[in-house]
Amino acid sequence: MAHIHLEDGALSPAWVLFWWAVAAALIALAIMSMKRETVSVRKLTLGAMCAAVGIAVFLVTIPVFGGVHLNLTPLIGILAGPAVGGVAALVINLFSAAVGHGGWGMIGVNTVMNITEVFLGYYAYRTLRMRLQADRFWSGLSAATLALIATAIAVVIIISIAGVQDSHLEEEETAHNLLVIAAANIVIGVVEGLVTGYVVTFIGRIRPDLLEHVERPTTAQTARPSAS
Amino acid sequence: MSRRSYTRHVPDVRMITHYAETGHSTIHSMTAWAKAAILLLIVAMVTVATDLYVLMMIFAFTLCFYALARLPIRLLIGWYTMPVFFVLTIAIMFVFTEPGEDIARLELGSTTIGVTDNGLILMAKLLLRALAVVTFSLATFMTTRYGHVVYIAHRTLPSTIASMFLLTYRFLFVTSDELTNILDTVHSRNGHLARGVFRQTRMFAGIFTHAFVHAFERGERISKAMEARGFLGAFPVSEGIPKPRPVECVMTGVFAALLGAMVISRYYGQIW
Repeated sequence: MAHIHLEDGALSPAWVLFWWAVAAALIALAIMSMKRETVSVRKLTLGAMCAAVGIAVFLVTIPVFGGVHLNLTPLIGILAGPAVGGVAALVINLFSAAVGHGGWGMIGVNTVMNITEVFLGYYAYRTLRMRLQADRFWSGLSAATLALIATAIAVVIIISIAGVQDSHLEEEETAHNLLVIAAANIVIGVVEGLVTGYVVTFIGRIRPDLLEHVERPTTAQTARPSAS
Repeated sequence: MSRRSYTRHVPDVRMITHYAETGHSTIHSMTAWAKAAILLLIVAMVTVATDLYVLMMIFAFTLCFYALARLPIRLLIGWYTMPVFFVLTIAIMFVFTEPGEDIARLELGSTTIGVTDNGLILMAKLLLRALAVVTFSLATFMTTRYGHVVYIAHRTLPSTIASMFLLTYRFLFVTSDELTNILDTVHSRNGHLARGVFRQTRMFAGIFTHAFVHAFERGERISKAMEARGFLGAFPVSEGIPKPRPVECVMTGVFAALLGAMVISRYYGQIW
């Protein structure tokens, strides 16, 4: 996750509606993509299992840097794929809002951030493994860290442009205020990246079939050697 | 979360379900539609309202609602930790940088740090907004039975999302129990004494891998079992929800009117 769950009232009503619209469009795309390949019961249950593990993992404090909570959204992207992972991210946000982690009105912006993590996690891992032939640990570490750094920066940009409700600060001053949080998020992102790297390495050893879809060469890649 | 919760800062899903299924307060007897509608109206109200006193009144209402449901206040205070932390991570710097009159000033060598009145008011507003929604949301879920949540999810969400949401709810108990069991095992073998970022992250990665692999294996088994029983992706709804009573309709109407007044007040000037 982007480590900051924006709470209700942080953004003005217009921005809340805007981010809900963006999230709805992304989720609609994810559902359409799932339906194009027919939503099998297996996909649904695996997505739900990923969301359940994501929520359960969040409940565990990792005792580094005084204690950090992880959600492993880039890992969910790697394991479940961008479409199922995107819907799982929305489900995680619905549960988080129900228990007070990120408001109901903020589900839109929080979901957009998490879907970004899922997409970046999946495609960065795939590119590193398939094109650059990197090993699983470095691919997982780099993909998750990249995704989390990108969203940590995106959070600063989003809040700076929208402005915190009732604040009289200019965009630049707001961004300046949020730099400390961005730095802390980047450090946590590296920890989450390390965990993701280890997890994909372990999974690759004991259940490599779970990574098959993300490590499978594309049609173009499989066609290339035979052409040469 | 599970048989033994590993955090006091995050509401325990098992406890939420226990209160929802066994409670007998006035709030428990309210129809789930009314509670869901008021929750959405509260979210809209805290987003639209900018007056500190209005936000204080909304927060006070949500606390009364929670207390009327005879839910544990002490637990609620513990559960406030995370939302307060999330708000502070955003708002803490604004306390010092928001333009306004200095309330306190600290000289640190050549630099001066001042706490401004507007900065404190901004932080108070953000906290009140967040806590009002958290309180009402928890009160709603701790007084609404699972069957009613299923019905509302089924009627309001697209089928793919509703099915995944409800399956996640069911799986959450099993996965959190499994994680707790592994953590108990690790702690009983002095695993908590492991030091260093790399050693800790590697140890926790092992735990999470175990959770993910088991989750996938269980997910595959469950999907096969469900398909064998004729499940095609849509969650069965066995229980309906009674229609809202007149008093609940009036209550929802009052909240909608208040929201309307707040919208007019914010965008078209003062109306009172």
